[in-house]
Amino acid sequence: MNGSAIERVFRAASGRITAALVARFRDLSLAEDAFSESCVRALSAWQETGVPDDPAAWLYRVASRVAVDMLRRQRTRRQFVPDPPPPDPTAEEVMIDDRHVIPDERLRLIFICCHPAVAPDARAALTLRLICGLTVSEISRAFLIDEATLAQRLVRAKRKIADAAVPFELPAPEYWSERLEAMLSTLEVAYSKAHEDAAGLTRHAGFAAEMLHLSTMLVDLMPDEGEAHALAALLHYAEARRPARTDARGMMVPLSLQDPALWHRELIAAADAFLVQAARLAPESARTLQAKLQACWCTRANLSEPAPWGCVRDVYDQLLRVRDDAIVRLNRVVAVAELDGADVALAELDTLDDKGLAQFGPYHAVRADLLARTGRADEARAEYQVVLALDPPPAERQWLIQRLGELSAKLQ
Amino acid sequence: MKYALLIYEDEAFYGPDKSGSKIEEIVGKHMAFAQELGARRLGGAGLKSTPSATTIRTSAGKKTVHDGPFAEAREQLGGFYLIEAADLDEAIAIAKKVPVLQDGAIEIRPLLQP
Repeated sequence: MNGSAIERVFRAASGRITAALVARFRDLSLAEDAFSESCVRALSAWQETGVPDDPAAWLYRVASRVAVDMLRRQRTRRQFVPDPPPPDPTAEEVMIDDRHVIPDERLRLIFICCHPAVAPDARAALTLRLICGLTVSEISRAFLIDEATLAQRLVRAKRKIADAAVPFELPAPEYWSERLEAMLSTLEVAYSKAHEDAAGLTRHAGFAAEMLHLSTMLVDLMPDEGEAHALAALLHYAEARRPARTDARGMMVPLSLQDPALWHRELIAAADAFLVQAARLAPESARTLQAKLQACWCTRANLSEPAPWGCVRDVYDQLLRVRDDAIVRLNRVVAVAELDGADVALAELDTLDDKGLAQFGPYHAVRADLLARTGRADEARAEYQVVLALDPPPAERQWLIQRLGELSAKLQ
Repeated sequence: MKYALLIYEDEAFYGPDKSGSKIEEIVGKHMAFAQELGARRLGGAGLKSTPSATTIRTSAGKKTVHDGPFAEAREQLGGFYLIEAADLDEAIAIAKKVPVLQDGAIEIRPLLQP
């Protein structure tokens, strides 16, 4: 096995091993350090003996011993005696398959990482670090933050979890739905943040794959939670459309103009399957409905087929019943414009309370488009200037500048 | 684990010397809440308004006495509980039940000696 194959083994094993160590030793940093140390030891040991049949079980056993040693050293340093850790695996345990050796505690660890008492900007990063085994440098690239800053945030988050005694248990039934929502929205926001800039395709490719993997893992760990299926569906649909989100020059391509031939059919099929379960388990959930919206689009086979605006508007109507806010209404207006005309849509848009929308670029972009389509070109240009001043992501900026250019050309 | 629950509210709401019907109402609620906490309540108290506060500042080893609280803020520390809880989730559940009559905040702080 070459170096990168071994790296893959480490990464694939990291979440399960770290989670099992956390559950056993109740210490995030200890678990993380012990796992890293077991990887270091594996690199030299495996060179001589070859890769063991069950590398994950090997790593887990070594990491457990390392953790026990680390605890002993800490104990002598601190002069006080914490609860003794559970015993080392027995000889029989060594013989059996790693699934039995390593208890699956990943869900517990994900809930710890995404606890609402952990700083919001550290939750997803901590999850990706501990569950997916991403390096700090990979995560910092996906979130566009400085590596040292991220490392600092992770240290602070781990210290907070220890100091404030965030429980190392699954949330009790009375906190379950609140905590589940906090966890799922953390991951959803982390994904969309990385997804926001359509131009960042290569930079986020590995990160996106890990997010898909994580969302699938959540479904496997909580097969009865409709919200988990809905999140997996949403992420898979979004990822499926990624190749069509920008053109060759890196300019944003609006959904209705994206070429379905470029979409990943396999990811769409996976998303469809998640959506079926989400619709069965959580039919009223806003997240399920958002996945349905994506499904409307993903049924389109090619650009000559009409865009599914009717389906889109219907789902927005359903969504309004569970979540009536300005953003949902704004999105619905886009469908209305296609179905009932720009005049009707503009009238509807102008009934929205725009206080919260004033700083929201997409609101001004929609308004600019509707003004242009109703022949109010000067006002449209002013709206485009407003969007551009709000500093949209690069791919969107390019598209907006092009629209503005077309508008000016028409005026002359 | 032991936690302090620090109650921050705009004290102006309770009047200049924290007396009158609003303070009676909130004190009544606190008494009922303390009863409900039982043995999980290790201590706690309501505090007089910040004009009664005196701050001793240490700067470069020199101690000076000042009138008023350490920092001027929109919300002031108005009281606290010391509680015993299994973990942060239990502390959060207790803190959510601390009675409040207006907007404000409850800060949960683990004690240095658990």
